[in-house]
Amino acid sequence: MIAIALRTLRHRPGGFAATFLSAFLGASLLMAFASLLDTAAGADEASAESLGTTASVAGGWCLVIVVFAVTSTLSLAVRQRGEQFAVLRRAGATGPQLRRMIVGEAVAVAVLAAAVAVPVGLASGRVLLGLLKDTGQVAEGVGYAFGPVALAAGFGVTLVGAVIAGFATSRRTSRMGVKRERPRARRIAAGLFLGAAAGCAVLTATVMDGKGIDAMQTAGQAGIWGSIGLALLAPELLRLTGSGGQLASAVMPVTLFSGIATGTVYMQGIEDDAAAGQIRPDYARDIQTLNYVVVGMITVFVAIMLVNTLIAATVHRRREFAQLRLAGATRGQVTTMVAGEALRVTVTGILAGSAASLFTILPFGSARTGEIWPSATIAPYAVIAAIAVLLTATATLGTTRRSIRGPALLRA
Amino acid sequence: MTDAVRVESLYRTYDAGTPVTALDGVSAAFAAGTFTAVMGPSGSGKSTLLQCAAGLDRPSAGRVFLGGVELTATGDTAMTKFRRERAGFVFQDYNLLSALTVEQNVVLPLRLAGRRPDRGRVRAVLGTLGLTERAGELPERLSGGQRQRVAVARALVGEPAVIFADEPTGALDLRSAREVLALLRTAVRDFGRTVIMVTHDPMAAAYADTVLFLADGRLAGQLSAPTPEAVAAHLTELVAA
Ligand SMILES: Nc1ncnc2c1ncn2[C@@H]1O[C@H](COP(=O)(O)OP(=O)(O)OP(=O)(O)O)[C@@H](O)[C@H]1O
Ligand SMILES: [Mg+2]
Repeated sequence: MIAIALRTLRHRPGGFAATFLSAFLGASLLMAFASLLDTAAGADEASAESLGTTASVAGGWCLVIVVFAVTSTLSLAVRQRGEQFAVLRRAGATGPQLRRMIVGEAVAVAVLAAAVAVPVGLASGRVLLGLLKDTGQVAEGVGYAFGPVALAAGFGVTLVGAVIAGFATSRRTSRMGVKRERPRARRIAAGLFLGAAAGCAVLTATVMDGKGIDAMQTAGQAGIWGSIGLALLAPELLRLTGSGGQLASAVMPVTLFSGIATGTVYMQGIEDDAAAGQIRPDYARDIQTLNYVVVGMITVFVAIMLVNTLIAATVHRRREFAQLRLAGATRGQVTTMVAGEALRVTVTGILAGSAASLFTILPFGSARTGEIWPSATIAPYAVIAAIAVLLTATATLGTTRRSIRGPALLRA
Repeated sequence: MTDAVRVESLYRTYDAGTPVTALDGVSAAFAAGTFTAVMGPSGSGKSTLLQCAAGLDRPSAGRVFLGGVELTATGDTAMTKFRRERAGFVFQDYNLLSALTVEQNVVLPLRLAGRRPDRGRVRAVLGTLGLTERAGELPERLSGGQRQRVAVARALVGEPAVIFADEPTGALDLRSAREVLALLRTAVRDFGRTVIMVTHDPMAAAYADTVLFLADGRLAGQLSAPTPEAVAAHLTELVAA
């Protein structure tokens, strides 16, 4: 059974490239942060505490993002091969057999990704430690260690994430007959995330008021939960702008990216303004660095997810494009149609992300400076929007152009 | 003697926007060791009947017995396991796995059932269907008729008690079509298997012992010892009605 799975994997390795890449990057980051805990074991008390905080705060976010990225890329890779699984089903594969195949594939990809991530995680952990030493958080004498915690976190999270994602995806695939979309479960999940976002936002504006930089914790969370919640509502949001749910999978990463990036960057901006001329606690610089690291990290992950989703969606529609071409559409007409759809995806995603970022920005501004609307310029927002547009345009148009190259006839 | 396949008041409705009744109360019994052709206009429910009878699809109401066991009373996994032991299926649209070679596709149901394919048997079936040279190729490199022969080989290789064939000669030239039909008839005459075959071709239907006619999801007549002329005449009547 696994042999069949691996053969189909080898036949179309492209579908799993994104899963591999996000699992690899995720495992590298997790190992880097977790190695700080290995390092803490041999450090003095103050250094150990600083290492522990950094590892758990940044590593925790890392975990959420990795699980989300691996799950979404994997389920896309599996869904892309839905027809193949249907054929297997008709050839006599039982539900449990298909499940084993899908989970087996996911585990194979995850193990490989985690193994390749070891040297990268080791090197990045060293850089992180250097950063903490530079800001004086960790004593110069502390030696770098990469040990059991790093390995366990890297392999463990990636593997567990892959197994869970594999099971969740195969449950949907292995059912006999009709495909069932479950908008109810998705909407409930979206509601829960938005509820958590609202909760964190209220907490920030009330309990954390006057707590200074510490309000970042809850404010940051509010934006991330809000982005995930709105990202889950992508099909509904698209319907509001009058387009089909087909593009929903592409709206999700744009929403996550613009929401989390905008929220975090402006939150840091507010903090910098508020702290200007004041004496800041030592760890303020660490947090500033970490915030930008988190934004960078999220940008990379989301770029992978976005490009992957768009490529998959476009490749999936190769047949539709071919039929359009056979019916007489020119390549220019097909490209124009796709460009219009890409534009709707980007605009919807950016608008949803902007709304989500307010969960961070408004309460943090109120808690930190007493002003709800930040006085910062629009420049960072413009940059974030431009990145989203650039990513979407490149991925969609590049793939479309490739799939409609040549004469109209295409053998199925 | 128990029937190889029996269906009792089968109903199957699809609810894609406007509900479609593909099967509207079909009852039929197929004795072991017989060759039955199922005919009727396009959209009359032939494929749906075959898929429900083979345990590939669940009817909305009614019962299906395969080898005396009620498929409609079992769960998905048990149904799949039973089906792959008992039945071979030639799909109207072939259903080959693009990542597997011709030979791997042919032995796939056996492998899924945990059975070791008999190499001699596999080679013999591929040879009879003129696929020996193509055994190592991927389906996308084959012509439509060659793919259809792979689908036939896959249904035959496991020597199932019942063979369901949905238009197994639809994409074949006259000679290959005759070979496939002769193969099916041999399976019945010499090896006691049961064949249920959907076809639009009166010539092909004449290979069967009995022809069942379907119209609008209901049975619409039956012919024993059919000749192409008699079948064609009945079909013309059906369309005119
Ligand atoms: N998956 C489906 N969803 C909705 N309707 C379906 C589906 N499959 C079949 N139908 C409908 O059920 C009816 C019977 O279809 P079926 O495929 O059994 O016909 P058929 O007799 O095999 O036709 P043909 O000779 O063209 O193969 C048709 O009206 C068809 O439109
Ligand atoms: Mg049919």
